[in-house]
Amino acid sequence: MASTPQMSQVLPSTTKPAELEYGGDEISALVLDPGTNTTRCGFAGEDTPKTCVPTYYGIIPDPEEQKFLGKLKIGENAIHSVVDGMEIRNPMHDGIVENWEVTTEIWRHCIEYRLSSRVEEHPLLVTEPIWNPLKKREKTTEIVFEDFNVPAYFLVKSAVCESFANSKPSALVVDVGHAYTSVTPVLDGIPLKKGSERTPLGGQHLNNQLRHQFTELGIRMAPWLMIKTKSTYTDLTNPAPLRTRDYGFEPHQSHLELQQDRFIHEYKECISETWPEPKSFPADLNNVPENFRGLPDKAYEFPDGYQRRFGLDRCLAPESLFNPSVAPKPWTGETPKGIAEMIKDSIDHIDADIRANMLSNIVVVGGTSLLYRFNERLNQELTAMFPGPRVKIYSPGQIAERKYSAWLGGSILASCGAFHQLWISKQEYDEIGANIIERRAK
Amino acid sequence: MPPFRDDHILLIAPGSTWTLAQLGLPESFTPAKVRIPSRMFPGIEEGQYLPNKVHEVAEGQELVFGNGEVITAGPNGKPHKKRKVGEAAPKPDAASANGAATDTPNADGDSKKPKLEDGATETKGDTTMADATDDKGNHDDDEEGHDDDEDHDMNGTKKDEGANGKIYYDDDFDEEGAIWCMEQGRIVNWECFFALLLHVHETINPTFHTPILMISQPCWTCTDKERICQFIFEKIKAPGFCMMDAAAAISAAYGAQSSLVVDVGYEKTDVTAIIDYNVQELGRTTIPVGGNSMNKHLQKMLPHLSEDEIEQLKHSSICEILPPGIPIPGEEELEKDIIVRPPDLSTVAMGGLVPPKAPEEEANEEEDEGVTNIAAIVASGKTQEYLAKKEKEKADKKAGLALGEKRLPNYKRESNSFLYVEKVAEHLGGGQKSDHPIEVPDGEHMDVDPAPAPAPEEPSAEKAPDAVPAPSEGDAAQPTSTSEEAQAANPDAPKPAAKAEPAKGAPSLMDSMFSATKDDDDAKRAQDKALRREEKKRQEAAQSGEKRKEIEVGTERFKVAEGGILEAIADAAHRVVNSADDYNQRNDCWKSLIIVGNGCRVRGFKDALLNTMVAKYQVSPSSGTIFTSELPSNIPTPSGTGTNTPQPSSFNTQPNALLLQAAANNAAAAALAHHHPSIPQANQSPSEMKIAKIPEYFPEWKDAGFEECVFLGAQLGAKIYFVTDQGANKGFVTRADYNMQGPQAIHNI
Repeated sequence: MASTPQMSQVLPSTTKPAELEYGGDEISALVLDPGTNTTRCGFAGEDTPKTCVPTYYGIIPDPEEQKFLGKLKIGENAIHSVVDGMEIRNPMHDGIVENWEVTTEIWRHCIEYRLSSRVEEHPLLVTEPIWNPLKKREKTTEIVFEDFNVPAYFLVKSAVCESFANSKPSALVVDVGHAYTSVTPVLDGIPLKKGSERTPLGGQHLNNQLRHQFTELGIRMAPWLMIKTKSTYTDLTNPAPLRTRDYGFEPHQSHLELQQDRFIHEYKECISETWPEPKSFPADLNNVPENFRGLPDKAYEFPDGYQRRFGLDRCLAPESLFNPSVAPKPWTGETPKGIAEMIKDSIDHIDADIRANMLSNIVVVGGTSLLYRFNERLNQELTAMFPGPRVKIYSPGQIAERKYSAWLGGSILASCGAFHQLWISKQEYDEIGANIIERRAK
Repeated sequence: MPPFRDDHILLIAPGSTWTLAQLGLPESFTPAKVRIPSRMFPGIEEGQYLPNKVHEVAEGQELVFGNGEVITAGPNGKPHKKRKVGEAAPKPDAASANGAATDTPNADGDSKKPKLEDGATETKGDTTMADATDDKGNHDDDEEGHDDDEDHDMNGTKKDEGANGKIYYDDDFDEEGAIWCMEQGRIVNWECFFALLLHVHETINPTFHTPILMISQPCWTCTDKERICQFIFEKIKAPGFCMMDAAAAISAAYGAQSSLVVDVGYEKTDVTAIIDYNVQELGRTTIPVGGNSMNKHLQKMLPHLSEDEIEQLKHSSICEILPPGIPIPGEEELEKDIIVRPPDLSTVAMGGLVPPKAPEEEANEEEDEGVTNIAAIVASGKTQEYLAKKEKEKADKKAGLALGEKRLPNYKRESNSFLYVEKVAEHLGGGQKSDHPIEVPDGEHMDVDPAPAPAPEEPSAEKAPDAVPAPSEGDAAQPTSTSEEAQAANPDAPKPAAKAEPAKGAPSLMDSMFSATKDDDDAKRAQDKALRREEKKRQEAAQSGEKRKEIEVGTERFKVAEGGILEAIADAAHRVVNSADDYNQRNDCWKSLIIVGNGCRVRGFKDALLNTMVAKYQVSPSSGTIFTSELPSNIPTPSGTGTNTPQPSSFNTQPNALLLQAAANNAAAAALAHHHPSIPQANQSPSEMKIAKIPEYFPEWKDAGFEECVFLGAQLGAKIYFVTDQGANKGFVTRADYNMQGPQAIHNI
């Protein structure tokens, strides 16, 4: 650890301190948790990530640029500033990295710019979803060692981290994230591929549903950045004139959508609500049964000043997480399974003798699980589904712990002493190559 | 361990342009005593940095010493001539040498004569005259006081230069080649930054038993902090060190529990949400706009002005951002239809600088006088001055009434002028030197007479009123008016106003100051500022000789913030608050908005920013609810339907009985509807925005303005960490901690 303490007393003010230098080198590991919405990074042993950079990036097309055919814009301020021609993209698809060049840049931004840590000095722990294919895992290994030149590195399944973060070695991890919702059984720290399920029902799905819902209602979804001042109105047929800010150009559609996501996000936080009872949500909102006890209305003010009261319809989008067939926007392909159904399938797939253990240790994490009364609903569905065994849902009460659960688990893992035995060192990589990841980290 | 004492604590707040520092905590906290530009100059040797620009004396140039000696440089920069300037006021040589070491812009303005750096002086002594030996003696005495490291550098310089015998001298004004070690708060040049820290430390020269508290910029990373910590312990050898986050310091100065801190700097603005005294690290952001963006915007609108002129225009009192509803004079009110929801009174009046009141309020001036902050005036010890000013103002007012429209306030004038003070490059250059006497009187000119302009070829406008007829402030018809003349053609108010007072004497910064502001307290502060600025300028003028000229600008001066800076800051603020995890506390942040930083000194900036935020983001009380119709509009209503709304605890008006009833009913209904509330649901925020109240118990700060209140926070922090707490709660890193843990100890406090 530290060098021998040479002086433990503070010297009197008249004496000049002797030359002494600190010689110890305790280097903490870095933990990187790449998600579709944000990429989290920080030092192991801390309880929240130091940085949380949007994974969305902007690109200003420029044929001169060789590498990306445009100028990359990474970071929150960059993607939220209005630049002519800037297109917003995401390098991830389905929780898996698609565009490695950009992802590398985003990781570099996270580590070097925001943390200013020399990455070649720190061991690195990266999380991955359980369905990450071998090729991508090898690619990650390659980038980590070749581009970042880390001394040691390890790849962990995010579900494992999430169960660790909730101090459970065995759990059924339900991660309701931005791009997808996944259910993964974790048994003594080992994720079971067999029982894992995933659907694209996540925050992004909600955003799309809400966007569709708002468009149906005829709401102008002008985001804040495009508006000069708002003027309050409630009548959609006679809207107040839109006072837009003139930038002299039309921002790219993808940029507008990113900006719209901001107020949709706020809507999700304060208006959206999960209908607490399973199966009783009226199928047709325009034809609600007489004696149906609805919800009190809540009003939301859109950035352009339009105010609208939302009643039962504010439950519609979250309802589609549990019952995808009610989704306002019809599905293009196969209708995915609802969350409770996924859990049921997962339980059905795993060995009968651990089912009870899993059901009594359901860990619910992910930002979308913060929807109002989400857990209540899930609990009711599951109790109805599994009347026999004891169903117990664990969910961190702290908002940050829910959002950054995977990161937090990684932080715990990388700060404990056993991490030294887990990691793959640079030397091992040099000897064996990228394939080592498959041998060492299943 | 002996306890730390109040007077032995060193505070350092590094910024991109200015670094503030102070030794010791006074009884009543004051603004920083030492302001040092955050730049160093590359020294003669590689890797060496000096606080002042060092020139090599070129051939044929003359160098004037404080003791009246003049050296003319010969070939290769070797001194070849030396003579005495007889009429020069002989200053003790030590004084000038002292100045070289402890030269700070406002600490000792009077010793800023061109002077030799210590080492170079000795060089001269070595190589030239014999009588330089006594000089040398002086210097040796002097150098005792300096810190060893710097001495090292100096000695190195001396030896090296002794070989070729070149002369070097310090140049206080030349900023060419300066290295600014920080950009947008980020440290870009570590060597230079450390040199700066050393320089600060030497300038103050505390004892060994002086702990250091440093304000850390939000964008500093962990590694940055470790490096600084290492430097502090290993080079400066402080017994204790702690870092205080800038935003935390600011909110501490305001004593706010939850707040939104907007720190407008030179090239950056930090936006930080603070909830329950905790800095929300994840959401905070730094955006690359600041005071300089306003300069750039002005420059775009006024391309004929130089950069310096722009800067001074921005600082002048005529440059302001008008509150909504007051049209820019001379311009068609194009956007008349805009109904900007006026923020309720509480939102406006909290700011430090009250915006110019709307015209109809002018009549209420007498009433305004009633609320003048007497305490501040008395405390500042300028009672006499203030009274005199009041008298004058009243007299002016009477006269003004007699004359009809005597003085139009700034916001009504289409164009207005400000006094531009130009620093003339001097110091060297044979010819210029001679007509630049050293004995510029540096008397106490507290009034606004033109500076003793040394060069006769520059009659300032005030001195020659006949040359420039009636250069009264607000003179739209001034013949010298530049490109704004076209606009001035508009037959509006300004013209008669200008004509009405042709006899008015030399206009001055003061006058425009008086007329531009209506609020007494404000005027007082503005006057103080102006005086200080004036004084400072004068001191500079005393050494450098300045040109002064009046520059007239049109309505561009009201558009200083139209370059998108307000929107950018407002948007960042909104993002930051919305990224705070606990959505129920976001409203608390919005209710206590703290706008600080020197970038927001432009008049009206804070209110303009607040207005921008209110107009764009504030959620109006829902018109669809059952009780809004009965409510006066300025009562903060629970947003939305009131469902789930926790009873707001901070009504600032008498609670409306009806509202209470309605809210209570709704809350009851909500409670019934929610059987198992897991996480209480949020309400849309912000429903209310207002600028946090300036703390009132720091009279010294009141005069200086709260733009630099980060330093006040540092003082409070130092008091708590080092004096009250004495390390019981690990408020700072002690040397023992450092020895145990190394630089990373900084993260464990």
